[in-house]
Amino acid sequence: MSQFDAIVIGGGVNGLVAGTLLSRRGKNVCIIEKSNRFGGMASYSVDGGPSLAHSLYNLSPRVLSDIGIDPQHPVLSGKPVSTVSLSEDGRHIVFKNEGIFWSEGTKHPESDAWTDLTQQLITYGGLLRQLAEAPPPGGQKAILSRGGLNEFLRLAKLGFGLKKLGKSEMRRFLQVVLSNVHDIVLDDLPEGPVAGMLAADAIWGSATGPRSPGTVFNLIYRLGHGGHITQPVGGMSALTDLLVEAAQKAGCVLMPETEVFRILLDDDAVSGVVTTDGRTLTAPTVLSNLAPKLTSRMTGPSVFDIETMRRVRNIRARGTAAKVNLRLKDGSLLPGLPDELARERLIYAPSVEHVEAAFNPAKYRQMSKAPVIEALKMQTADGASWLSTIVQYAPTDLEGGWTDTAKDQLAQIAVSTLNLALPGLKDHVTNTQIITPDQIENATGAPGGHWHHAEMSLDQLLTLRPANGMCRYSMGPKGLFQCGAATHPGGDVMGLAGRNAALAAMEATP
Amino acid sequence: MSIFTDPKLGLIPGPFHNKLAEQNRARSWYDWVGYAAPGVLDSIEFEYFALRNQASLFDISPMHKYRLTGPDTTAMLNRLVTRDVRKIGLGRVGYAIWCDEEGMVIDDGTLFHLDENDWRLCCQEQMLTWLLDAAWGFDVSIVDETHSVACLSLQGPTSYAVLEAAGLDVSKLKPFDLIRIDPDLMISRTGFTGDLGYELWSDWDKAEALWDRIWKGGTHQGLRAIGYEAVNMARIEAGFLTAGVDFQPVHATERLHRGQTPFELGLDRLVDFDKGHFNGRRALLSKQDTPRSLLMRFDVEGFKPSEGSLIYNQRKKEVGHITSGIWSPTAKRNIALAHVRMPDAIRSSSLKAEIYTLQEGKWGTRMARLTPVAKAFFAPPRARATPPART
Repeated sequence: MSQFDAIVIGGGVNGLVAGTLLSRRGKNVCIIEKSNRFGGMASYSVDGGPSLAHSLYNLSPRVLSDIGIDPQHPVLSGKPVSTVSLSEDGRHIVFKNEGIFWSEGTKHPESDAWTDLTQQLITYGGLLRQLAEAPPPGGQKAILSRGGLNEFLRLAKLGFGLKKLGKSEMRRFLQVVLSNVHDIVLDDLPEGPVAGMLAADAIWGSATGPRSPGTVFNLIYRLGHGGHITQPVGGMSALTDLLVEAAQKAGCVLMPETEVFRILLDDDAVSGVVTTDGRTLTAPTVLSNLAPKLTSRMTGPSVFDIETMRRVRNIRARGTAAKVNLRLKDGSLLPGLPDELARERLIYAPSVEHVEAAFNPAKYRQMSKAPVIEALKMQTADGASWLSTIVQYAPTDLEGGWTDTAKDQLAQIAVSTLNLALPGLKDHVTNTQIITPDQIENATGAPGGHWHHAEMSLDQLLTLRPANGMCRYSMGPKGLFQCGAATHPGGDVMGLAGRNAALAAMEATP
Repeated sequence: MSIFTDPKLGLIPGPFHNKLAEQNRARSWYDWVGYAAPGVLDSIEFEYFALRNQASLFDISPMHKYRLTGPDTTAMLNRLVTRDVRKIGLGRVGYAIWCDEEGMVIDDGTLFHLDENDWRLCCQEQMLTWLLDAAWGFDVSIVDETHSVACLSLQGPTSYAVLEAAGLDVSKLKPFDLIRIDPDLMISRTGFTGDLGYELWSDWDKAEALWDRIWKGGTHQGLRAIGYEAVNMARIEAGFLTAGVDFQPVHATERLHRGQTPFELGLDRLVDFDKGHFNGRRALLSKQDTPRSLLMRFDVEGFKPSEGSLIYNQRKKEVGHITSGIWSPTAKRNIALAHVRMPDAIRSSSLKAEIYTLQEGKWGTRMARLTPVAKAFFAPPRARATPPART
């Protein structure tokens, strides 16, 4: 008799979601986390500084309802955040739901074109969301079985949704979905900061530039839940605390500071795990929130087919986004930014070309000298003020490695880049925290420090995610499942990968 | 896997080329992965009967040979092949097949257990990239010995006497045993003819000296150098499969569903589901009871070789084809290996081969009744006797 019905390895967002969902469906679940706090990459922070993720835009309402969290919970009811594109001439551009405006309040001439394009992409995102909320299509189920019928209906719904767009819209959808964001955005908008903002939103976290194929898909993905950005009240750790609370309420056994050393097998079926401190926990189902390569290391390669291992080790995951946290001397306003914009999402991406040029050095293992930056001003629990920034591109495999000198250089670049649009910012910064992709990998195990554990590119999506032959969350021996960001539909503090994996595990072991 | 050979290079000489060229009266060279290999040296009849009644020498150096060493070699091989290699003792040779993730046979070959965690794999197809993939995550080093190890196949009832005359004592060697004579020479009691025979493995640059030594030993034993045509007749009589002929190595197929499972090739005995995971195991578990076709041995009515014939069932429906077929001079039967689709393969009492004949410019067909044969067409006890007879 096993101790648990299921063991989840890795207490990040997807692991917590998977465990909670299984627990709520009557399974006896244990969630094991290596570090002393749950939440994984989302809430990872250094010395109490801002966490890696600092805003929410893709958290799935379906996941929330499946794990028993009220979508109106105070933590999730933070003020919607608008986006501000910073400009060196001080005429910043504010992107709101109702259009785009100059910082002084007048309407931007590209407002209508931007709204049309964004709305179009949001519509596409809504269609594709149906695919995200289920395992990828193409399972070998008989069409007349319940699962097969559901899958058929889901695809039919997508087809019907496409048809409903009308002939020219449908044609447009098929034309843009696989295309690059450079071409599509510049079809409708002139080159400049408005186009640059869309280009930036298409490349966060990925090793692509606006001209890379598939970047429109990334943009649609980002807008998959409507494109609204919020900051959880109390920060990202408040959200992960909420998930932990939901897991506890559902009856999950949480084991922080416990590291799995090996996944145990018995006659080609999972039988439990052994921890580094020598404990054996038994269960017929193990869900791994780790990247496939790390999971395979815990079983040894011999339990997988040779082709599977070849695919696993060829999954592309090269993190290019560094977190640079700028400690501000006090809570005063940022220089050059009007009062009402101080708490919005600030973006430095003056043009599509700028974003593409920033990508170029990363191809050759260099950091961008003129990076793309997303910044959010926030206060940490200790009352300190920070500018939490994502700086791209800072490749994980930087030539010469991420030495202290390299990190200092990246911080200097980030500050001086922002200083162009926020003159005087330099004097407000008292300290910097740099979290490079290799550091993210060390702390969370995410290969290359990549946000999604595996690049979100067309060859690694849907039935090819994380790799051909393992898209249905199961992997190798009976009872072994993957539930991490490397699986369909990916990461982004969305929770759907964990949810889908848990449902797949339920289906396999009712 | 197809091998690209530079046409400008032409066929290249193997380690025994000079020796073969001296005797190659037929000048019938063919391309064996780029090497000039003899199809026939003199005449098929002389060579075949030397193989079955005296002794024969055939150069098998173009076979692919890989040396696998390191602490994880046994574990790595056990994940690669379908049988349990732990049951192949030290100093023993084992026939093995390996499959892709869908359970389709990639190739077959022989595994030589040379020493603790020291193996040689000998096979027909180029396999280095696959072995490197298979070894990922294991502490195993792989060396391609294809062009550094030469090999001669000495086969026939007097082959033991030839070795004895050459001063090589292999009296204790049982079938599938191997013995290292000196650092440059290893002898295994293996072969592709179903007869008494040995394979001699030496350094590439010591090949000619080996040839001379064996040739001298064969002076009074009727030893003859032979080409592939005679070997092919013998292997069909023994019921052995040739890659690309009797099964399609799945890595070399481009069309869907041309691969075959071990069960479809009648190699069930080589699949060990109890040894732990091996490549294709999960697929094979689900496919073991539903073969799409079977590889069968047939006694063919009449005397016309049936190779390339289509097979029809009673209802005149095409249900398969002959992959290899000859008139067997030793079994005195018209024999064939064939693929027959299910379910006709298990109710095969009324199968007929449509044999095409060309006689002095006139094409014709002959419907020949096929009688299934359970065992090898020719399996002489002398092949297994230890110590072997001298004549």
